[in-house]
Amino acid sequence: MKYLNKLTLAAMTVAGSLLVGGTALAQDGATLYKTKTCIACHGVNGNAPVLPTYPRLAGQNAAYALAQMKDIKSGARNNGQTVAMKGVMHLVSDDEMKAIADWLATVKP
Amino acid sequence: MKFVFKSALVVAMALSTGGVALAAEGGKTKLPAWQMQGDELEIAMNLKGDAKNGRDVYEVCAACHMPEGWGLPDGTFPQLAGQHRSVLIKQLADIRAQNRDNPTMYPFALPSQIGGAQAVADVVEYMASLPMSPENGVGPGTDLALGQQLYKDNCVRCHGENGEGKNDEFMPLIQGQHYEYIKRQFREIRDGARRNANPDMVKQVKGFSDRDLSAVSDYASRLKPPADRLGPPGWHNPDFD
Repeated sequence: MKYLNKLTLAAMTVAGSLLVGGTALAQDGATLYKTKTCIACHGVNGNAPVLPTYPRLAGQNAAYALAQMKDIKSGARNNGQTVAMKGVMHLVSDDEMKAIADWLATVKP
Repeated sequence: MKFVFKSALVVAMALSTGGVALAAEGGKTKLPAWQMQGDELEIAMNLKGDAKNGRDVYEVCAACHMPEGWGLPDGTFPQLAGQHRSVLIKQLADIRAQNRDNPTMYPFALPSQIGGAQAVADVVEYMASLPMSPENGVGPGTDLALGQQLYKDNCVRCHGENGEGKNDEFMPLIQGQHYEYIKRQFREIRDGARRNANPDMVKQVKGFSDRDLSAVSDYASRLKPPADRLGPPGWHNPDFD
């Protein structure tokens, strides 16, 4: 019984840390979205771009958003408004771009 | 006769327009000829800014320049805290008028984002009054003797012994500025890419090599603002809590 209790506790701890991990990741994307200055142009929650020529990002497919970020960072995509974004892309790593893209996909447009 | 009269009229009109824009009351700042900007912003130069309202205007700037106005030590965004009012107005005006290319900042300089002349005067008052970063980004420190000599020979006359600049003459305060930012602007000025640069400086630094440019930027980044202008390390601006 005691053993079972211990096991239960261990299982709960694992479940708990997984949950915390999940939350931390989601928060990470939201926080990065602010600290890496995405919010300046794309607006709160990716819902209010500062210019009509800038895209809304809330609810965007994560894989698409990530591919655009990577291409703008590398210069593979250099058309449209990318000149305004290129200058800040050194601020984000691949993992951070992914966290931001994953979070944006969860935000309600 | 007719021609002479017409010319005189045009000149008189131009002068009176200039007079209105500059509102040349005694002792007011007059804009240098190399400055191109809208009338509205020229007026901002002579308006009294309200720092309290400026805090609200600054909110949009804070996303990149940080709530403290300290920018980023890696030089992506410059420190604006403590900068001279005339310099802040000029750069904002020039970016707004596309007289200085800055595609990242451009939308935020538009009147639709930050408002008219009074809002500009207000936000500038706010930024100028913020305490400055005690931990700005500095260079590698490997070529400071050269940097010091170059600074003495080329920069002191306008930017001052300690990088303090001159508000009355639109000379930027460069003490406490991030190394990478200084270097990037310096390069753009030398290479003619920063179109609103003071032509005197463009001429002065024409012969600078890349090594010169890095060395003098490094030296300049180590010029510290006076202690009473600095915030504590890690300070968070309570205006944005």
